[in-house]
Amino acid sequence: MPSSLTSPKISARGVDAFFGKVQALHNVSLDIPEHRVLAIIGPSGCGKSTFLRCLNRMHEVAGGSMRGEVFLDGEDIYKADPVSVRRKVGMVFQKPNPFPTMSIFDNVAVGLRLNGLAKKSELNDIVERSLQQAALWDEVKDQLDKSGVSLSGGQQQRLCIARTLAVNPRVVLMDEPASALDPLATAKIEELIHELKSAYTIVIVTHNMQQAARVSDSTAFFYLGKLIEHGETRKIFTNPEKKQTEEYITGRFG
Amino acid sequence: MPRHFEMELDQLRTMLIRMGSLVEEQIDCGVKSIIDGDESLSALVIERDKKVDEYDNAIDQQCMRIFALTQPVAVDLRLLMAALKINNELERIGDIAVNLAERVKALVPFRAFVKETRLREMATAAREMVKAAIDSFVNNDPGLAKKVLTSDDVIDSIDRQMFELMVGKMKGSKDLIEPAVHVVILSRHLERLADHATNIAEDVIFLVNARIIKHNADEQI
Repeated sequence: MPSSLTSPKISARGVDAFFGKVQALHNVSLDIPEHRVLAIIGPSGCGKSTFLRCLNRMHEVAGGSMRGEVFLDGEDIYKADPVSVRRKVGMVFQKPNPFPTMSIFDNVAVGLRLNGLAKKSELNDIVERSLQQAALWDEVKDQLDKSGVSLSGGQQQRLCIARTLAVNPRVVLMDEPASALDPLATAKIEELIHELKSAYTIVIVTHNMQQAARVSDSTAFFYLGKLIEHGETRKIFTNPEKKQTEEYITGRFG
Repeated sequence: MPRHFEMELDQLRTMLIRMGSLVEEQIDCGVKSIIDGDESLSALVIERDKKVDEYDNAIDQQCMRIFALTQPVAVDLRLLMAALKINNELERIGDIAVNLAERVKALVPFRAFVKETRLREMATAAREMVKAAIDSFVNNDPGLAKKVLTSDDVIDSIDRQMFELMVGKMKGSKDLIEPAVHVVILSRHLERLADHATNIAEDVIFLVNARIIKHNADEQI
């Protein structure tokens, strides 16, 4: 699939996902344009996190299998080296997970070191740039050798975002990145998402409907492993096409 | 069991429907007080406008509470938006009923003149539009709302005819200047009633069909 200005950054085609014999996703196709934020919403167990993990081949690490295709810049990620896929498609998890034995600096540098991506002379610059992009630099610049877990929950999450950005991914996947954070830390993460989309393409899974409305350009609603509706966020939250979407976002579901 | 949120929305709808009935009655009484020269009825209309204003404030506050506490989306968001706007229109309709009532005293000496004009016909048509607009909200009926939109031209046309007729009367006799000016103003009030009914009908189409049709736009949101 040739890449062009109009083609999506990441594109899922007919994705089925399984845990053993249980099918978790049914024929999901979704395009995400570059420098846009896609929010995925839906009730627990609807397959939204599974779909996210299919976008960087983490689903197979979690013991699942899948059918279908996922293209990143026109290349099928399931025909590529999974490690390189996960470098290009980074992931931030619900619970901040800095490496507890590492300093703040090393937490950010770890991906670069493991992948041999940066010369020693470049490392300082990349760590600083990543922490700045994650809006954490000013808070930690004088304590880079302190342990990553000495930071607050919100700071730890931004540290994890910096760690993800350090290896220069093309797409950042976020699975409930603010659900363990207080409203102030949540607001910082949301503001950060707005900043980051000028450089990256972002997919965020969230249970918080207002968060989806605030941060995303387009929204996808999943239910029972199926993509029910995908459209402009403005449209989904003012006049969704599908009855099921409307019932879910207005809290009338079930 | 109805959810708490649904009850809040129902309460909002009920308040709007009650306010709608009240302003319909206010127009009826305002028009009747003009035609009959009934000053006690006009006093009642003026007094009762306080009640319309109370609804106006109560509905604003109910909307604000729901916005703040529930962050409504989709059809609920459209209901809240429409409720705020319809509330505004109903309050203005109430004010027009008062404008009519306030003119009754000055018109008492000219009752015969007023009866010969098309004010009653115009009032009936405007009143029907207001009723249909409110009914279209009550019944979630965009079809009825569309009918309201097409009726507005009829009222506008009578208003123009009345204006020309009254100018003719004024040219014919200096004695008729005063009553004719009153009638021109009354006619304009009734024409404004129809405009408010039209706005309500547009809000109902926004609410039910998610289409913005005001100012000659036709956009799906």
